[in-house]
Amino acid sequence: MKAPLGLAAAVVAAAALPLLGSDYAVGIGLSLAMWVALTQSWVLISGMAGYVSLGHVVFYGTGAYVMVLAWQQYPPWLAVLAGGIAAGVLALAIGWPVLRVRGPSFVILTFGVAELVKYVVVNVEGALGRFGRVLFGGPDLQTLYWAMLGLAVAASVLTYVVRRSRFGGGLIAIREDEDAAEAVGIPAAKLKLAAFALSAVIPGMVGAIMVMRSTYFEPLQVFSPVVSFTIVTMAVIGGSDDAPGPLFGAAFLVVLAETLWSTLPEAYMIAQGALLIAFVLFAPDGIHGRLTARRARSG
Amino acid sequence: MSLLSVEAATKRFGGLTALDAVSLEVAPGSITGVMGANGAGKTTLFSLIAGTDRPSGGRITFDGRRVDGLPADRVCRLGIARTFQIVRPFAGMTVLDNVAVAAMYGRRRIRARGPAEVIAWEVLEATGLADRAHQAAGSLTLAGRKRLEVARALATGPRLLLLDEVMAGLTATEVAEALAMIEDLRRRYDLTILVIEHVMRALMRLCDRIVVLHHGRLIAIGTPAEIATHPEVVDAYLGGGS
Ligand SMILES: Nc1ncnc2c1ncn2[C@@H]1O[C@H](COP(=O)(O)OP(=O)(O)O)[C@@H](O)[C@H]1O
Ligand SMILES: [Mg+2]
Repeated sequence: MKAPLGLAAAVVAAAALPLLGSDYAVGIGLSLAMWVALTQSWVLISGMAGYVSLGHVVFYGTGAYVMVLAWQQYPPWLAVLAGGIAAGVLALAIGWPVLRVRGPSFVILTFGVAELVKYVVVNVEGALGRFGRVLFGGPDLQTLYWAMLGLAVAASVLTYVVRRSRFGGGLIAIREDEDAAEAVGIPAAKLKLAAFALSAVIPGMVGAIMVMRSTYFEPLQVFSPVVSFTIVTMAVIGGSDDAPGPLFGAAFLVVLAETLWSTLPEAYMIAQGALLIAFVLFAPDGIHGRLTARRARSG
Repeated sequence: MSLLSVEAATKRFGGLTALDAVSLEVAPGSITGVMGANGAGKTTLFSLIAGTDRPSGGRITFDGRRVDGLPADRVCRLGIARTFQIVRPFAGMTVLDNVAVAAMYGRRRIRARGPAEVIAWEVLEATGLADRAHQAAGSLTLAGRKRLEVARALATGPRLLLLDEVMAGLTATEVAEALAMIEDLRRRYDLTILVIEHVMRALMRLCDRIVVLHHGRLIAIGTPAEIATHPEVVDAYLGGGS
């Protein structure tokens, strides 16, 4: 009972962040909440089912694009919702063919599909004669922050609940051995597709919110693969088997970025790469995995 | 009425015919042994029945329903469970979780974790794995993994159980134990069983009927006594015919 209370207190404290009156602090909070929401969502398909997506930015970008198209025609909250739904529908369309391949081929395909969608949007925007769009008059930073915090909490709860559900058990079995999973009656194709769609909805909403924060939409930037890489890095560093992992990973990298980025931006990129390699080699189950193993040994 | 009926099942891998028009009927409640040298097509026969592989020809009917070509998870939910000769545990999960997830899907489809664990414990007791329930499945010995294959298949609540060389590599005493276990499971769970085994003597004791495969063809089918004296079988097994 202690952990849920502590977490609830942390959420309340996070919600009170804007009271500090520092836009800088709220900006960092927004960034942290964004990465938590994205990485938790990614864990559903890639951590639990073991289908590593290297193209999750496509859902983020889709949500952002929906917001851009709906801008000043529909209320922003409706556009955020529509962005999430659009991302989920896109995941169903992509996942149906792509989830048939396993391992490295799947990883490469997700990357390729995300790049493809990016250039489709670039070309559509070009054909419309739009080269970058400006979104003025959106909600203020504080409101965006609270919305993003809500998504981070929702994504964390979703991962936590799925991990302990029958659905989550099926996904883990698929990760361990998909043929054996099917042999015990687990409808792998169905579960994978559901997990993929579920892992896309919140990133779509995140993208819709973030494009209001940046007030500018440029497809090459919004669909940048760096977003996908960062999600994977956070999941690897934090651990991708359960909800605490993305919390650790996102917090770790956001803090690292804040401390290094302003002073030594090159050092940040190098540190991120070095950390990724170190974790893959020496602690593939991430910070959370290490902590659980230590607790199991001492307890 | 047979529970399972295989009619002219054929499987080709490129130019190789692994299974060549094999037909057989399996009566409910029976134990049928499947014999044959390495590469005879035994595992392929199981894969076709369980939906792991699609047949190249023929038809397979289970309880009056056509199952060939159905995906493996559908076939399992209809009541056919198989074990894998090359064991495939969910290595990172505990032994208990391996079995519980099978009970939560499979034919039983128990939605809640609690009741699924009750079944899981019962099956672990029956297969002698209860003392290793909280161990990671990947840390079991080979004999333990073979038992886990059986436990996981049983937990799905099958009517037809396909056992693929679950006694391979066991000592004589362990084989005797395993035979007793299979007998016990059949009675307790009201099972129909197909069992692949190299150990001919084990099959002779256990089975009501035995089928013999040779280079993908069914060369004999009958009671253990009939098989033991069947000229083609004696030839294939004792006469150096592969
Ligand atoms: N997936 C596969 N691809 C190609 N050949 C296969 C495949 N599976 C089995 N075979 C071949 O089919 C034949 C029968 O194999 P199998 O059914 O495993 O035999 P058994 O179980 O009786 O030892 C063998 O020659 C084997 O090499
Ligand atoms: Mg075999």
